[in-house]
Amino acid sequence: MTSSLQHAFRPRSSTAPAVVANQLIKHFGDLEVLKGVSLDVPEGTVTSIIGASGSGKSTLLRCMNLLERPDQGELAIADEAIRFDRNPQGDIIGLDRRQLQRLRAKVTMVFQQFNLWPHLTVLGNVIEAPMRVKKLSRKRATALGEHYLERVGMADRRDAYPAFLSGGQQQRVAIARALAMEPRLLLFDEPTSALDPERVNEVLGVIRGLADEGRTMLLVTHEMHFAREVSDQLVYLDQGQIACSGTPEDVFADPRCRQFMAPAA
Amino acid sequence: MTSMTPEGLIDWAGPILSGALTTVQIAVLAYAIGLLLGLLGAGAKLSPWAPLRGLATAYSTLIRAVPELLLILLLYYAGAQALDALLAYLGMTGAVQITGFATAVGVLAFVQGAYMTEVFRGAILAIPSGQLEAADAFGFSRWARFHRIVLPGMLPNALPGMSNLWLILIKDTALISVIGFNELFFTIQQAAASSRAYFLFYAAAGVIYLLMTLSSTALFARLERYVRRGQPTEA
Repeated sequence: MTSSLQHAFRPRSSTAPAVVANQLIKHFGDLEVLKGVSLDVPEGTVTSIIGASGSGKSTLLRCMNLLERPDQGELAIADEAIRFDRNPQGDIIGLDRRQLQRLRAKVTMVFQQFNLWPHLTVLGNVIEAPMRVKKLSRKRATALGEHYLERVGMADRRDAYPAFLSGGQQQRVAIARALAMEPRLLLFDEPTSALDPERVNEVLGVIRGLADEGRTMLLVTHEMHFAREVSDQLVYLDQGQIACSGTPEDVFADPRCRQFMAPAA
Repeated sequence: MTSMTPEGLIDWAGPILSGALTTVQIAVLAYAIGLLLGLLGAGAKLSPWAPLRGLATAYSTLIRAVPELLLILLLYYAGAQALDALLAYLGMTGAVQITGFATAVGVLAFVQGAYMTEVFRGAILAIPSGQLEAADAFGFSRWARFHRIVLPGMLPNALPGMSNLWLILIKDTALISVIGFNELFFTIQQAAASSRAYFLFYAAAGVIYLLMTLSSTALFARLERYVRRGQPTEA
């Protein structure tokens, strides 16, 4: 169950989904942001969530590692059902923090604003979670960190502090940080939205490479062409509901879906 | 006799230096305990649990609202009695000196803690929330998140305030003289009064306080350079 510490990534042979969400409902105050969304991300595949701003796509993504706690619904991460505390009406009112910490080590995230830790070097950022959360020795974590920094083309800046890097470089480091946990599932929350246009491609290139390796990924993105190219599954979210989903070919071939997509594309 | 000449100063050099050392000891200990109280206070003030928040708010508000001199006197008489009772209960005698020192440290730490609470609270709130969210998203425990992300993340914001409080603390140790404890200021007062060389001794005291504060300012500047190592220097 726990991912081994191999350096070369091996796609899993099993087809059990890395994450299964069932009928997620989420409110912010009176606003219902997710209105019963179900989604699985099969092992070894890439799913992209697309949709207009305010459609709930980032909220859906953030439910997958419980940075947002859904109000109702069920969720299983890495074959393990999340133990929610519920009131008699079935509303989710709490979480098991220990289980959460354990599962979050298997589902890591790349943020829109990178969210690197500014007091740690590039390498320090990448080895921090493997050392503190997975309790790896500094030596093993460093070997792992160097491997993944190499993978994103940032090995030569290992001793730099994040503030001295460009946005694209920071995001590549953030991807290495997420990879160094060797997660079952990688989450990307609009990974190129905060970048200068000329920096977008270097980050998309890295993500494309990960997709080609067969890593399990869930992306929220506005890059429609990119999503179409790399995804096995596209999910179009509209006002908190899945309006359309399927393979990119199906979604783009379906006139009803295309009509949704037109303003976003 | 030798009162108006520098020889008076030399006669008093031993007691003055020992008083200065006591002052440094009181300040360092009070500061360390104050830091701890401040961290606890800030944690409590940012806690989701209302009673804890209320307690911390009462502490920082009340202590900061009352003159320190008054607090020192109040806490000295209350604290000294409690300590004396405790020491008597434990069968320890001749502990008057310990009581004075412990009370001085305790009172100043208690006051420092109230100000530190506010310094740390502000510094923690100034950490960009994304950095904390990243720690949560990677499965950090509360403790790992606190000492690996929150603490180093808030120090650049907190250090200027911490440095201010340290300087104020050194000067506040002079207030301890009102309870007749032999720190620097009390010793100086005695020296000045017995020799009548008031200017000489108060000027000497000024120089000693200045040396203490200047050297610690240099130390804080180095510390601040270190905690800001990841930040580009402002043009």
